[in-house]
Amino acid sequence: MARKLLLAVLTVAFIGALAAGAVFLGLLERSVVSREIEQPLTAEQMKGLVKRGAYVAVAADCYACHVTKGGAPWAGGLPFETPFGTIYSTNISPDREHGIGAWTRAEFHRAVRDGVGKNGHLYPAMPYASYRKLTAGDVDAVYAYLMSREPMKVANRENHLPFPMNIRQGLTFWNLVNLSSGTGTEVAGRSEAWNRGRYLTDALAHCGECHTPRNLTMGMKESAYLQGAELEGVIAPDITKAGLTRMGFDPLVFASFMKSGISAQGAMTNQMFEVVHFSTQYLSPDDLAAMSAYLFDLAKLPERATPPAPPQPVAVSAETASSARSTYLAVCASCHGVEGQGIPHVVVPLATNASLRLADARNLNRVILSGIPAQRFPGLERMQPMPGFAAQLTDQEVADLSNWLRANWGGQKPSVTVDEVRRLR
Amino acid sequence: MTIATRTLSLTINDEAVGPIDVPETMMMQDFLYEYLNLTGSRMGCGQGICHACTVIVEKGDGSLEEMRTCITGAHWFAGRKVRTVEGHAKRDANGAITQLSPVQQAFIEHFSFQCGYCTPGFVTGATVLLDQLKRNPVRREALEGVISEALDRHICRCTGYVRYFEAVRDLVLRTPGLVKA
Ligand code: FES
Ligand code: FES
Repeated sequence: MARKLLLAVLTVAFIGALAAGAVFLGLLERSVVSREIEQPLTAEQMKGLVKRGAYVAVAADCYACHVTKGGAPWAGGLPFETPFGTIYSTNISPDREHGIGAWTRAEFHRAVRDGVGKNGHLYPAMPYASYRKLTAGDVDAVYAYLMSREPMKVANRENHLPFPMNIRQGLTFWNLVNLSSGTGTEVAGRSEAWNRGRYLTDALAHCGECHTPRNLTMGMKESAYLQGAELEGVIAPDITKAGLTRMGFDPLVFASFMKSGISAQGAMTNQMFEVVHFSTQYLSPDDLAAMSAYLFDLAKLPERATPPAPPQPVAVSAETASSARSTYLAVCASCHGVEGQGIPHVVVPLATNASLRLADARNLNRVILSGIPAQRFPGLERMQPMPGFAAQLTDQEVADLSNWLRANWGGQKPSVTVDEVRRLR
Repeated sequence: MTIATRTLSLTINDEAVGPIDVPETMMMQDFLYEYLNLTGSRMGCGQGICHACTVIVEKGDGSLEEMRTCITGAHWFAGRKVRTVEGHAKRDANGAITQLSPVQQAFIEHFSFQCGYCTPGFVTGATVLLDQLKRNPVRREALEGVISEALDRHICRCTGYVRYFEAVRDLVLRTPGLVKA
């Protein structure tokens, strides 16, 4: 009996080990890159694709990550602070030694869509889980475009990851759990614009990489698709139809917000500022319309739209209101206005500001404490810097101010605690 | 239409001011100009960028902080000790200036400014920097960087900053205790 049991345990362990080994060796990985891609593109084809590739690369926002401030174009080097360590983006200029100059068409496709580069597995900081859904034609176009850039002789930077995260092959496990085998984004019966919007949202612009919360394995949690997530200490808000509506957007305003980065709901900050800067401001009117139509679940962008009703103010204690009002008049009102109206082209309004309407107060609190640098937006717009008030305001004053602003203009319960503010400092 | 007011008391240049009724929404700059005729702090941008309008707030522990009066309400200063640019030099019993502050003197000696519009802000900023260095001296190698960082936010449209910079560096180097070996 005992021997039988031992044998059974050993068998299970052996099969388990075999299975793990098979996963590790990548035997279970399924490439979504088809056979025909092994066939190189002709010089003629490459040339013909460059222009389209430039647009696709912008829509996919490749550049934002594959360059550093003041660094060589497409040469990578941008650090990504992950919970496990620091990863650097790579040189994707066509330099043969440091970049992708020696990569074949198929190798490029596999990197972008399978997450398996010429030199091993990529880390999912590269959003291949989303780019997996790109069409082969779009990937070809980006390939052609990148190959037409100047080669940059810039060496890649070494990642700083502890064992076992530094073993790239280990990503086979992540991929097994988190990569969908389905790559289509098209839904039969939905309009062309809606489907284009879905492709833009899910594949090209990879919105879910930030706006969909992550599960235990750090994969996108599909059950909470686009419902908002925490990212580097700030909230990437819910951008489902309900979330956008709650922030005060209607489909038309939202489409123009993605183009200009500024609306009555505020100005893009943090990573979304860069997304507008590098990517969405250049999207065609049709694509912006499609993206908005998809997110608002409409067949197409309407001609006219009614903005959602402003939220009902929530009562706060007299004590909170008096503390907050004094603070507001003393350090906020000169720019944001006594009525929260802001100054056009200079300062965002607060009365209609999306940050005040989020369930989580973290973004607002962070801004109050640390401020926002001056930012230039498309079309000669610029927002003046907002000073941080960490040195001037106590935790209590910040909590009161935040609660009062959110209750008055955002319709949110005054739930911010002094502790919460302290932890953000 | 009536403007809502609140009573304000504070100390400015070592003198008690108030209690006095001041509109709730009035900025400190307007209060200094319109109520006290202290017109030395300059209104440059009015939106918190140029720092021509700054004053010193003397904190409880004696340390100094620079505040922009264009974007800070008068009532924020309630109960606080403020030093405007008029309060830096020594004066005799009649209020006549007898001796400039070391920072003011250094700016004169170095011909630091031209039109002078930004100067009250630079006097304020450099005075706060000196106070900080007195509390936390820096190493000599770090000094240039520290000066640039501290005064970077002050905008001057005439000079190119070089003589302001040199004046501050010179003053720091000849004031004992601000620079560590
Ligand atoms: S006038 Fe106050 S900062 Fe410019
Ligand atoms: S001296 Fe004229 S602005 Fe500075």
